[in-house]
Amino acid sequence: MNPRGVHDEFRSLMSLAAAGALESAEERRLEQHLSACPACSAEWEGWRALAGGLRRIPTPQPSARLVERTRRLAEAALDEAAEHRWNRTVLIFLLVFSWVLTLLSWPLVRLFSGGLLAMLDMHFERAWYGFAIFTTLTWLAGGVAAAMLSMRQRHARRFA
Amino acid sequence: MGLEGEVAQLRRGNLDALSQLIARYQNRLYRYLLRLVRDPAEAEDLFQQTWLRVAEKIESFDTRRNFDAWLFTVARHLALDHLRRIRPRSLDEPVADDSGGETGADRLVSQEILPLDRILEIERSGRLAAALQELPVIYREVVSLRFEEEMKIEEIAQVLGAPLSTVKSRLRRSLEQLRASLESRGGAGGWS
Repeated sequence: MNPRGVHDEFRSLMSLAAAGALESAEERRLEQHLSACPACSAEWEGWRALAGGLRRIPTPQPSARLVERTRRLAEAALDEAAEHRWNRTVLIFLLVFSWVLTLLSWPLVRLFSGGLLAMLDMHFERAWYGFAIFTTLTWLAGGVAAAMLSMRQRHARRFA
Repeated sequence: MGLEGEVAQLRRGNLDALSQLIARYQNRLYRYLLRLVRDPAEAEDLFQQTWLRVAEKIESFDTRRNFDAWLFTVARHLALDHLRRIRPRSLDEPVADDSGGETGADRLVSQEILPLDRILEIERSGRLAAALQELPVIYREVVSLRFEEEMKIEEIAQVLGAPLSTVKSRLRRSLEQLRASLESRGGAGGWS
């Protein structure tokens, strides 16, 4: 490589060196070159000054009013998220509990009202399907109503 | 309480931890947003949105990750979405200086007399900040993250969701553009 090419190569490293983003091997090579080359050394001083200047640009600060308003809104959002998590947990528990209760109730009612033989009734299966479809529809309607109420509540809270 | 403790407390819904984290990051986050969008009113709105998003998403934050990088990623996504929506062209085009022509000297009028070095320093910083504002947003943000937020290259790569090589190349180009811009304003070394 000709001497000018050598200088160009090191100069192309200087911006990253000023940003502290060079690999250690490249950094060492650059340091060695700078100690022996006054022209590149002068160029390097410019990069160092630029990096120093960037670190000293005054920091714009948010107003105390903005910080306070943000804190209040974020606290409300955090509360809402916690409430949402709690509601979800309770809803899942209630759903599982209710389904277990629902599914168990039919055979139990048959067992206690008609004895074990009623369980073997040839019409039992048909009646069981009807019961399951009716229960599913009821649950679906209940779920949709709960979701709509929850959305309305959230909307009202957001614009409160 | 340290940063990790505050983040852990926030994940449990502790309101004090939220206040402490806002106080800890308020200047850095606001500065970063301001560098991205350049408009103080927009930066304020995004500052607020960022903390709301943090409150909503903190439960899903992986504590093995770096909180700084996560927070700035949240802010970055909101800011870039905002820029795409409001000023689509601002993502790739430099825009004129919006400092209103105010110089460091103007800002000093009502202040006490400062030593000459301090006055020159403020003026230099003003010119540098103005030149920084003229860079495209992808360059402004790497410069801000590296020099103002003092993030490591690896952390910047996390925030940007980009490889290290991309971060380095953006950093190099942004500094070269910045230097060329300063030299064209005040002559070589006039700002340093």
